[in-house]
Formats: sequence, C-alpha cells, structure tokens
Amino acid sequence: MTLDVDIAARFTATGAEPFVIDVAFAVEEGESLVILGPSGSGKTVVLETIAGFHPSKGTIENSDRDLTDLPSEERGFGFVFQDYALFPHMTVRENVAFGARYHEDVRGPETVLAELGVADLADRTPPTLSGGEAQRVALARSLAVGPEAFLLDEPLSALDVPTQQALRDDVADLLTDATAVYVTHNRTTARAIADRIAIMRNGELVQTDTPETIFEQPASPFVARFTGANCLPLDALGEFGEDLAEGFGNEAATHVAIRPEHVELNPEASDLETTVRRCTREDATNRLVLSLPAATEPVASGSSKPIGARSTDGGQRVEKGQDLTIEAFADRTPESGTGIGVSFPREHLTLLDNSDNQDDPAGEIE
Amino acid sequence: MSTGSPAAGSAGAGSVVGSTGRLGRGSAVLAFVLVQVIVFALAYTAGRTGLYVFFALGSAATVGYLSHRGWFAVAAASLGAILLIAVGLPIVMFVARQQPSLVIEKALSTEVHRMLYLSIYGPLLAALFTVVFGTPLAYLLSEGFPGDTLIESLVDLPLVVPHSVAGLVILFGFGGGGAFPSVLVLGTMIGLVLAMAFVSAPFAVNVIREAFETVDAQMEYAARVHGANRFETFRRVTFPLSARSVVTGGVLAWARAVSEFGAVAVVAYNVQFFYPPAGGTITGQHAPVFIFNTYTAGSLAESSAVGFILLVVSVLIFLLIRWLAYGEDDTSASAMP
Repeated sequence: MTLDVDIAARFTATGAEPFVIDVAFAVEEGESLVILGPSGSGKTVVLETIAGFHPSKGTIENSDRDLTDLPSEERGFGFVFQDYALFPHMTVRENVAFGARYHEDVRGPETVLAELGVADLADRTPPTLSGGEAQRVALARSLAVGPEAFLLDEPLSALDVPTQQALRDDVADLLTDATAVYVTHNRTTARAIADRIAIMRNGELVQTDTPETIFEQPASPFVARFTGANCLPLDALGEFGEDLAEGFGNEAATHVAIRPEHVELNPEASDLETTVRRCTREDATNRLVLSLPAATEPVASGSSKPIGARSTDGGQRVEKGQDLTIEAFADRTPESGTGIGVSFPREHLTLLDNSDNQDDPAGEIE
Repeated sequence: MSTGSPAAGSAGAGSVVGSTGRLGRGSAVLAFVLVQVIVFALAYTAGRTGLYVFFALGSAATVGYLSHRGWFAVAAASLGAILLIAVGLPIVMFVARQQPSLVIEKALSTEVHRMLYLSIYGPLLAALFTVVFGTPLAYLLSEGFPGDTLIESLVDLPLVVPHSVAGLVILFGFGGGGAFPSVLVLGTMIGLVLAMAFVSAPFAVNVIREAFETVDAQMEYAARVHGANRFETFRRVTFPLSARSVVTGGVLAWARAVSEFGAVAVVAYNVQFFYPPAGGTITGQHAPVFIFNTYTAGSLAESSAVGFILLVVSVLIFLLIRWLAYGEDDTSASAMP
C-alpha cells in the first residue's frame, strides 16, 4: 500500500517548551522511507503519531482508506520499538502470536521465527533473550500480523555494533518489498535501508530525496553536516572560496559541501594547503582530520565528529581561534603535522546558502 | 501501616555484622536475634525489663559502629533504636505477659470463633468490593483524564477523615434518611462492609494505580498497534503485568478493614450476620469492637487474651502481604534486560 502522511501536533510536557511537529510525506508501495535526524528532532513522535499513539491534526491515509481517526489497532501497521517492548509475561511464541486473533492473514509464529533465524527461541521468555534476539522476536511479532506497512523506531540503536550490522542486513532484506517508515539517527543505517531519506530537524522535514541525492547534494549546511559531509564556510577559504562562488555562478552561496571520500589528497594542483591533525585507522581506510590555517573569525568546521555521537544537532560549534578542519580518507597514515595539499573535484561539490539557518547568522547549528 | 520494625531492624543489623565478621549473613542475624531474646528473657524473669532497653540501645550502637564506623552511624543507630523499642517492646511485652491458659480458653470459645469469622469474612467482602470497583478506577487514574487530580484527592480523603467521622458519614449517606432508605445499614453486614470499604479503599486504589502506572507505555502501544483494542490490551498486557499488585492491594485493604475500629463502632457496633456453624443469623461484634467491649466491661486480662489472638491473625496477614509484595518470581512490569 501507499501511505500519505500530513500531520501537525503539539506536545507539552510540564516545565518544558512545547514541542511542535509538522511534517508531510508520502511513501510509495514497497518503498522504505527513512526519517533521519538527530535525537530530539521528533522522529519517534512522528512514527508514534502515524501509529495512532498520539492525537494530531491533519491526515494519515493509506491507499484505500483514511486512517486519521482510527484507533491504533485498526490502522494495520507493524511496529518495532527501540527497546523491543516484548511482553515479559509471555513466551517468545506467545509474543509472536499475540496479534493473530485480531487479524485474518496471519502467519504462524514458528514460520516467522524461522524466517528470522530464531526458531529455537520459541519457548524462551523475553527477559532471557539478548538484545539482538529480542529485536528479532519483536520483528517477528510485527511480521506475523501481515501488516500493510511497517513502522520501525530505531530498532538497532540499543544493540552492540556487531549485532547491529548483522540485524541491519536482515532488516534491509525484510523491507525490500515492504512499505515502511524507518526512523534512525544513524546515517549508515539510513543508507543501508532507505529507498528515500527524509532529514528531520526540530519537528520538520528539511530535505526528502534519494539517499544518493541526500548524501551527494545536501540542500543545506545542516543536512551536509548531519550526513557526514565537510561543510566549509566560503568566507573562511579566502580566494579559493571567492573563486568557487564565482565559478558556480552562485553569489548567494555561503558554504561549500564535499564528502570526505571525494577530497583528493596531494593533487597536482591543490586548492588548499592543510596540515594533518589526526589520522585514525578505520576498517579499510584511514580517516584524516586536516587543519586549515586558522581563520580570523570563528567558523563552523566540517564534521570532525562522528555523527553517531549524541549531539542534538549534528553540527558542531567551533570555538574562536580553533582551526577549520576537513575530513578525508587516505590509504596511507601520514604523521600529525605533515603538510598536505587537497583539492575538491568540482563535480562533487555542492554550494549552499544558509537559508535554513536564518536565525543563526554565523551559520552554526546549535 | 506500622511495617514492623523488630524484624526489619534485626535484618538490617545482621547484614551489617555479616559483612564484618566471619559469620554468614543468615547466621549473624540469627545469632543477633538469639542474644536479644536471651537477654530479654533474663531481664523479664528478673522483673527488670527496663535493663533490657539499655542493652538493646547498646547493641544498636555497636552494630552501627561495626557497620559504618564513626560517630554518625552510632548516633543514627541509637536514635533509630529508640523508635524500634517504642514500637517493638510493647508488642513483645504484650505477648510475654499473656496467660496461656486464658488465651487457650478464649481460643476455644464459641464467642471468639464467631468474632474471628466475622472479622475475616467481613473485611474480605470489603476488600473484594474495593478491588472489583477500585481496579477500573485505578486504571482510569493511571491513564489520566481531565480532573483526575480531583478524583485522586477524593480517593485519598478517607486517609485523613477521623474514622469515627467516617462512620457517621456512612450513616448519613446510606443510613436512615440517606440515599437508599430501604437499605438497612445500622448494625448490618452491608453497613459493616461499607464502613470498612470507606477506610480501606485508598490503600487498594493507590497500590493498583501505581502498578498500572509502572507498566511501560510502549508495552501497551505494542499491544494496541498489533491489533488489541483497549480492553484486550488491559486484559492481556496491563492487568497480567500488574496482577500481583492488584492482589497486594486487596490484601492491604483486607488488613486495613480487619483492624478498623472507629467507623465500624459507629455503623455496626453489633452486627447481624449469617454464621454457617449456627445455621442462621446471629449477632456478633467485629474483633476490634469486641476487644474494646470486653475491655470496657472491666476485664483487661480477657480482652488482652482476645487481643493476642487478633494480633496473631494480623501478623499472619502481614506476612502474607510481605510475601506478596517482596516474594520471589517478581515478573511485574518492565522486566526486560
């Protein structure tokens, strides 16, 4: 089925600022839409509102009916929670069979558990399961009711990294032909799962597109930084910055974005001269953090912090006097302090203006 | 509730001694209790029970010192022991000073059998009443609704109403000239149960509400989204995860009703009730009233013998509550890793 969502809701907790979400998107039949955003951006609330856990204004429709005023149990979703939410007083089998009596096209718990490779857990109880096992059982529970669409709320983020990777592949397979909305703050997961990605910030969707476009052509400095691209203020790049704005015919541009993997090291003609600040070995490559000569004004750096870290925005404030940094990948491991020239292949560059940061003249994201 | 004291006190003390000495935790507690019992027995038989008080204070201070060292622990233990002594010593003395022959005589008397029957059966009805109607109320309160704080205050109100006043309230509400003139309340089982329910409802409702509140909201979401409506979610998820607390709430209400004097004395001093062994309706008194009645009739020894029997019943109920609340195999609420 297709899913059409256009909702607005306001949440007030005592002692806190009211939190507002206002989003609209459509998911095609068989498509997996990943809502990617920092913690606190309202992703989970959107998902829970679609599922009917919270009241909202607006409409939620699937291909043949209006779900807006239906209670959760009549909306036909399968839901996977971050913390599994298995029923501790039931066996795994009973958990998976929980919804069977309320649905017509149900699948037996054994079949679904076997499909997820955990058939041997059927007689266990949830408190005895590992995180990975529990999440597979939770997936089986939502699969068993034959849902019209899946809603998944960071199903991997409570797991350790090896378990995450194994389960991520399985979830990706599972969702190949399924209609799904998947919420995460992890860009690697988003890329593995998504047919399309919607970037969420402060209760709103700021860019919705294919993963390739989101990652290669971010629409704003926020999206660029949150998806792990270098995002450099043009005015901190001196002549090179001016040339870029001119070359692209974009005088309004304030930033240039380029993914670390596209930054070329030691080219014949370099765009910028940098110094190696740090070199970290990662699985098959070395991640370099390169310093540009100190800028006179405080500026935002490229993302020199892994986005998985729990920052509320994905950006980073740079203290006055701190160097501007560029991330890149390298085969070799240069010493700290080594000078390296870099160039930015023009076909991988995106020039951005700071229109989504009007409230923040420095172009920084708080 | 006077969640008692001597047992809890010595258990705490034992863990402390156990952590410092060569003795295991269990044997340390046992040794400590044994020493206390022996010293008390010696002091009591010598007619100098007051001396035991000083010994108890001394042991508390020692345990305080052994556990945490330093003057603060000693001071806290000594001051705490004063409260324990104020609560525990009278109970121990009350038990020690009973005349066994009189207790046995009372335990075998028909009068006391009737009293015990009424004092267990009546409160059971009251507890059932509060649980059956209190559970839905507790559920609604746990979910929250407009004006729920007002209702919560109403539920808690009986906690602060003097119990004799509670009795009068029941009489004015449901007695002669009340809401249901055809229902007889004064001196009937209905009156007894209503008076007991009035004073015990807050205990049941609050315990059950808290249990419902502890059930993870995501657990209920998971049930709803996979097809269960509100009732099914309650029946298959919320209630089973809180069942233990519902029973605990019921037993608390029962215990509260067993010990109720004021409201019962006003509404149902003498109660007409059906007594199976007699094969018909008889008149009797709820235990606290019965004991008060015997006491005012002039016999301290007799009333205390009956009181001792009631105390034993109360302790059994108390142990049942402890077992329910802290017993093994606790699957209530969020038991996920």
